[in-house]
Amino acid sequence: MPGTYRAVRMEALNATQNADGGWGYFAGKRSWLEPTVYSLLALHRQIDQPEWKRGWELVRSWQLPDGSWRPNENVSEPHWSTALAVTLHCARQQYDDAFRRGVSWLLDARGEESTKLSRFLGLFMANHIGHDRKFAGWPWLPGTTSWIEPTSHALVALKRAAPHIATSELRRRVTLAEGMILRRRCADGGWNYGSRAALGVDLPSYPETTALALLGLQSCGEADLSQDLQRARDLWSGCHSRLGRAWLAISLRNFGVELPEDDREIARNDTLATSLEALSAPQGGHTLLRPEPRV
Amino acid sequence: MNLMSRRDFQTAAAVTTISGCASNKSNEPTPFAGRSSVSVLKASSYDVDLTKLILTGLAQAGLPDVKGKRVLLKPNLVEFDNATAINTHPRIVVAAFEAFRSLGAIVTIGEGPGHRRDTLGLTEEAGYWQQFQALDDHFVDLNRDNVKSIGAFLGRPEFFFSETLLAADLIVSLPKMKTHHWAGATLSMKNLFGLVPGSVYGWPKNLLHYHGIANSIVALNRRFRNTFAIVDGIVGMEGNGPIQGQPKSMGALVFGADLLAVDATCCRMMGLDPGKIEYLKGAADLGAIAAEQIDQRGENPASLRSDFQVVQEFQYLRLA
Repeated sequence: MPGTYRAVRMEALNATQNADGGWGYFAGKRSWLEPTVYSLLALHRQIDQPEWKRGWELVRSWQLPDGSWRPNENVSEPHWSTALAVTLHCARQQYDDAFRRGVSWLLDARGEESTKLSRFLGLFMANHIGHDRKFAGWPWLPGTTSWIEPTSHALVALKRAAPHIATSELRRRVTLAEGMILRRRCADGGWNYGSRAALGVDLPSYPETTALALLGLQSCGEADLSQDLQRARDLWSGCHSRLGRAWLAISLRNFGVELPEDDREIARNDTLATSLEALSAPQGGHTLLRPEPRV
Repeated sequence: MNLMSRRDFQTAAAVTTISGCASNKSNEPTPFAGRSSVSVLKASSYDVDLTKLILTGLAQAGLPDVKGKRVLLKPNLVEFDNATAINTHPRIVVAAFEAFRSLGAIVTIGEGPGHRRDTLGLTEEAGYWQQFQALDDHFVDLNRDNVKSIGAFLGRPEFFFSETLLAADLIVSLPKMKTHHWAGATLSMKNLFGLVPGSVYGWPKNLLHYHGIANSIVALNRRFRNTFAIVDGIVGMEGNGPIQGQPKSMGALVFGADLLAVDATCCRMMGLDPGKIEYLKGAADLGAIAAEQIDQRGENPASLRSDFQVVQEFQYLRLA
């Protein structure tokens, strides 16, 4: 029955919310920012409900003084999931000081290989891996190198935020990060984790990374993504991972690709997969990860 | 999977550690002076009575009393591909589970894969659910578990690990016997990379690469000393491991409480010189590398030696 797929997952999410308002990666585990944000996005139609507000308040309470977000209550370090918190602010249309500080932190963050010192040192080193250091992306953790996934999450957040942030730096970072992703595209048309090849061997693309890279490249006018979308479609057809399949469906649907409605049963106790599957449904809210038209 | 080249790591290390190289001679540890036991048992296939074999290996290698103890089995789950020898075979994991249960241990299976985020999907694709219907009750995703700080580690003022891991009395490393295109070989010590939670440190666990693969392997093994190893060498992987290599039949299981001695023994069986593996050298104070310091039980490892192919950059590791 159409809509059941999403309804079953929303019901599961409603049933597994923690007392603090958040969600763990698995039911019964402590809350983390990532499953909490995606659960709140999946449940966005309940935005006025007290349960949704409790989750929202928990997310708000995890912002650190520097504008970044911590990943959970006991890890008090800036984290890649700051991008998710910014996206959630956009979905809630909350463009306040906390939102702006989050965006500002993202704009200051970059992969270590693209800092001024690294770029200077790079002038004296052989560039065997072939990455152009000026195309800065985002790392999982500050002080480490950039990867496709955190870069894509940051791009989604910044493109959502763009109409509400008056700075040329945002557009510059978006352009550079799009360049980074496009330059790391695998020969098969999708994306691996951070490189297109290693030790002279082409690397295969993966479902999650391909889906996220495409999400990050939404509204990138310069790129011809037709081969990549076909690769994503092929990956979706043969994908064994619930998480990968959900990400691919979110991405493909945001590009307007028609997919048959999924009818797989909900399986296993995995909040992140459940929330992404709910979001990936035709009316599931995947457009919340689509860039906002400029105002 | 090749996620970043060795050169890239070196560049990263140069950026973060301009002051010097962590593996210079003056930093080499004082070699371990004791003796260790390692058991090598033949296993022609995954269809033999692996539980019985594992119980024999545990006894020969001197497993301490585990009755009432919390034992965490840590297999190596890497990739959605059950057609090759990437992941620890599910029958080894199930047999180890049954063996430790029969010894009175409280057993949990836990893994935190290095790059694929869908850990439960990996267990399914690797055949773990087909082999073990009750996996749901006993499996913990170490990437996404509750975490707790252990204080300073790997150059960070606070470092977080899974609470399930930290509560374990014994961590049993259950790797696949494989070559590794950055580390030379990936065995029981390298398998501890999967203890680092991706939910905090990302996928791949770039922080470990940043710190240096060998340094990180040594640090993890120095931090977690409550370990035991059972290496799945029935079918290993040679060539461009740990993912893109070819299956290699070895027909052996290797057991021991000293992970260095276990890995050194595996290296010799693979035709690799353990004295040239950087992380083994870096951990030389933790256990036995020299064959003379290892009391071999069961089969003579030399009789099972079958040289693994290695990528060009590791040809120098080959034993004469």
